[in-house]
Amino acid sequence: MKLREDIGPLRRRTVVIFLLVFTALGLIHLRLVHLQLAHGAQWRNLAENNRLRRLPLPGPRGWIYDRRGEVLAENVPSWELLLFPDEATNLDETGLFLASEGITETKTFRELLAERRTGRQAPLVVGENLTWNQVAAVHSHQGDHPELSVVSRFRRHYPFASLAAHAVGHLRPISKAQVEANPDLEPDLMIGATGIEADQNAFLAGSSGERWMMVSAVGRQLGVVRETLPTSGHDLGSALDMRLQRAAAAALGDRSGGIVALDPRNGAVRVLYSSPSFDPAVFGGRLSRSDWQTLQEDPEHPLQNRCLQGVYPPGSTIKPFLALGGLNEGLIDEHTTVYCNGSIVLYGHRFRCWRRGGHGFVDLERALAESCDVYFYLLGQKLGIEGIARWLQLFGFGSKTGLDPPFESAGLIGTPEWSRRVRKTPWYPGEVVSVSIGQGPLLVTVVQLAQAFALLANGGHPVRPYLVPEDSEIPAPLEINPRYLERVKAALVEVVHGDHGTARRLSALPMAGKTGTAQVARLQEGVAADELASHLRHHAWFVGWAPLDKPEIVVAVIVEHGGDGSGSAAPVAGKVIEAYLGLGQEDNTIETSDVEAPTAGPFPSAEGG
Amino acid sequence: MEHRLDPWLILAVVGLLGASLPTLHSVSRVVGTNLLLRQSLWGITGLLILWLMSLVRLDIYERLATVLYGAGLAGLIAVLLFGVARGGNRAWIALGPITVQPSEFARISTILLAAAWIAHRSARNLRIHHAATTAAIVAFPVLLIILEPDMGVALTYVPILIAALWLGGLPRIVWVLLIICALIGATITWHYALKPYQKERIRTVVDPDRDPFGAGYQVRQSKIAVGSGGLSGHGLGQGSQSQLRFLPAQHTDFAFAVWAEATGFVGTTLLLLAYALLLARIANVALTTESRYGVVLVVLVGAWLTFQVVVNLGMVLGWLPTTGVTLPLFSYGGSSLISTCAALGVVQAVWRYRLVNQ
Repeated sequence: MKLREDIGPLRRRTVVIFLLVFTALGLIHLRLVHLQLAHGAQWRNLAENNRLRRLPLPGPRGWIYDRRGEVLAENVPSWELLLFPDEATNLDETGLFLASEGITETKTFRELLAERRTGRQAPLVVGENLTWNQVAAVHSHQGDHPELSVVSRFRRHYPFASLAAHAVGHLRPISKAQVEANPDLEPDLMIGATGIEADQNAFLAGSSGERWMMVSAVGRQLGVVRETLPTSGHDLGSALDMRLQRAAAAALGDRSGGIVALDPRNGAVRVLYSSPSFDPAVFGGRLSRSDWQTLQEDPEHPLQNRCLQGVYPPGSTIKPFLALGGLNEGLIDEHTTVYCNGSIVLYGHRFRCWRRGGHGFVDLERALAESCDVYFYLLGQKLGIEGIARWLQLFGFGSKTGLDPPFESAGLIGTPEWSRRVRKTPWYPGEVVSVSIGQGPLLVTVVQLAQAFALLANGGHPVRPYLVPEDSEIPAPLEINPRYLERVKAALVEVVHGDHGTARRLSALPMAGKTGTAQVARLQEGVAADELASHLRHHAWFVGWAPLDKPEIVVAVIVEHGGDGSGSAAPVAGKVIEAYLGLGQEDNTIETSDVEAPTAGPFPSAEGG
Repeated sequence: MEHRLDPWLILAVVGLLGASLPTLHSVSRVVGTNLLLRQSLWGITGLLILWLMSLVRLDIYERLATVLYGAGLAGLIAVLLFGVARGGNRAWIALGPITVQPSEFARISTILLAAAWIAHRSARNLRIHHAATTAAIVAFPVLLIILEPDMGVALTYVPILIAALWLGGLPRIVWVLLIICALIGATITWHYALKPYQKERIRTVVDPDRDPFGAGYQVRQSKIAVGSGGLSGHGLGQGSQSQLRFLPAQHTDFAFAVWAEATGFVGTTLLLLAYALLLARIANVALTTESRYGVVLVVLVGAWLTFQVVVNLGMVLGWLPTTGVTLPLFSYGGSSLISTCAALGVVQAVWRYRLVNQ
């Protein structure tokens, strides 16, 4: 058979191939004898002295400045203690050592270990902001604890501490879910939690690098295996003006409340201060959780941003906008006169004016300057709740201003439809009377009022408040008769400069504005407002602008439970405006760029004096 | 009754899988996936395929060789068009929940066709144009794989070509010429084609200490792992090299180092004996079959498997540069395991063929 004859040479060649195969296997076995038997002890020694570490290198965050170049957020060097859990022989012992050196409490250490994410070789940050003594203690015990390593990193520092805490914001450790969603993120990354830090996180954040290095059995670095360098984030200039912010905080003192000041020409927010405030350093680290728990449980709610998140009844500060609505719809004109005898009966209820004796005959200007309630009860009734809602929405109430959308409240404009859908009770016709003096189901934020008054001050141009300048469309001017706008503005000048104006104590300043007093609790007959318990006292409002001819600053102030607007809120706004005007004209022009070199001098006006 | 499957070969395969699974399990935590479950499923599937492939008659493989070769090329083209990229190589195709590496399967069809071509040249020595055709059969899939690029798999086609030419028979003068060409080709490759990191890998073979934290890092760590195993090893899951992530690619390219660290010289000797048994049984099939096609087929499979074992172990033990060639039946990877089992199934089909009355 042909096949059998032909297979001979194939067989011989096959034998050669398999001889080669077994020779190769034999050589490999010899190599194993050499490596494992002859030199096994040497290699074992090397293995025991061999540690590979992956050290994440955080990218430095960008700094934040105010409009004059003052530093709002910076990075300061800090010693951090890293633990490489894989290398520890006994983690309990490590925990005891850390506790005995006062670096980390045992409880915190256990929590850190429990939260540890496997699958990615990342060291745990077990100590922050170490003192020199602690660094020395770790170094001297390095032989016992090779799994610990002191590294120099950066910690976020806010030079103004509580003064700008709400506006600038603070950091928080990245959440587990975020790390799982994006494996490129380091588990010990700190990201913006609130304020500018959160809003501009993508711009501020750098990107992490990593270094793989070989270390000896006692934790000494032997060599870098490979390295990717981190990149830093961008520095950022905000619109805030710390000199004004400081004046605002000083004027408010230890009272609870919020102050927003913005430039009505462009919406740049110069002051955003909420009181009581807190020291953002509490959030600077990953470990000191007990500190911020006490902050969260504080009955004064220092973490709440009263300018953006707090919603309040606007009280009489809403009146100028209802007046504009009434004028534009032709329901009133500047000569319409109402007689106020201190109260009026509408829908079967008696509604009182704040002045028990009444104002007598009031026209629009007096109604605003002296804040006559009866005038607006009647105007509100004419506008109807739908009309009121439509006009207030036009001025930006009931929706977010866009300053910090995830955090800010939209406020509330109560309507019959809202009442049915949300409140699940019928709408009482009498509620429109309450709404027309800024009470009842009408809630606004401080920044909404500042935004709305900016529109009054600048002659009808809506502005979007901002802390960080960004390109956005300039909204079209509102279709309001300029004559009506001038009438209302003139009436608000009278509030300060008129003989009977509710803020006449500020008449020395070239400003205009509106006081407001928002009821927290219904007054019982025979109880005076200032006799109420402090948490039931009225909220005091003042919103105004300066200077009179070309307004450059709008200030909105709420003092929680401050009593009446003219007595407690107006002086605060006056202080801020005084501070602004004291800064001198050339400092207050609009800059093309919102960051400039620190002027770092006394007020320019000092030159003249 | 004669066994239909070679029990010794099956013993070797099961033994290798039995060593592989606990090794992979011991590094699952480090790698971060449950390797044991996946590889166990692949192992069972592989044994099933081995048995199914052994049932097919040898002459059917011969007749289907061309069609299968065409299908293999089609798969390689498809991967270039619709493939999934992983770590820079576009080598995988997603089929529902699993990803398949067509280059692993094209190798079997290449072997089937090359063996058929060689078996039908009845002359004592191959003529030059027959040798060229053989080279072309291997070259087409290799070129497509280089385009992916997956050099590790492309390299495993080289022993198939050399073994085919050797079995077909070439005059000595041609071998000398081929070796000279290979040397010239290697020089040109060194100067013009290799990337700097690839050159560094080769340099560190000659001088292992030249860059212990850079290019020499992997091999150095691998040698430390193997050497520190000593006589009896640290035990699975105990070795510091594997558990502390010193070793790179510990479930694929460097899986043997994990085993060596854990089980020491005793374990590595057993593992080498298993490979020796496997190859001895393949040699036995090659030397006892009466079919020319069967001989060539089995030798090509044996040459390929030996090449992978030698190149992988050579790399792990610091003799050869790191190339990405995995250890058959031991490294993690579904496509590689299945294609190895399928090839062994073909070997078993040749083994069964001796029972067919001629």
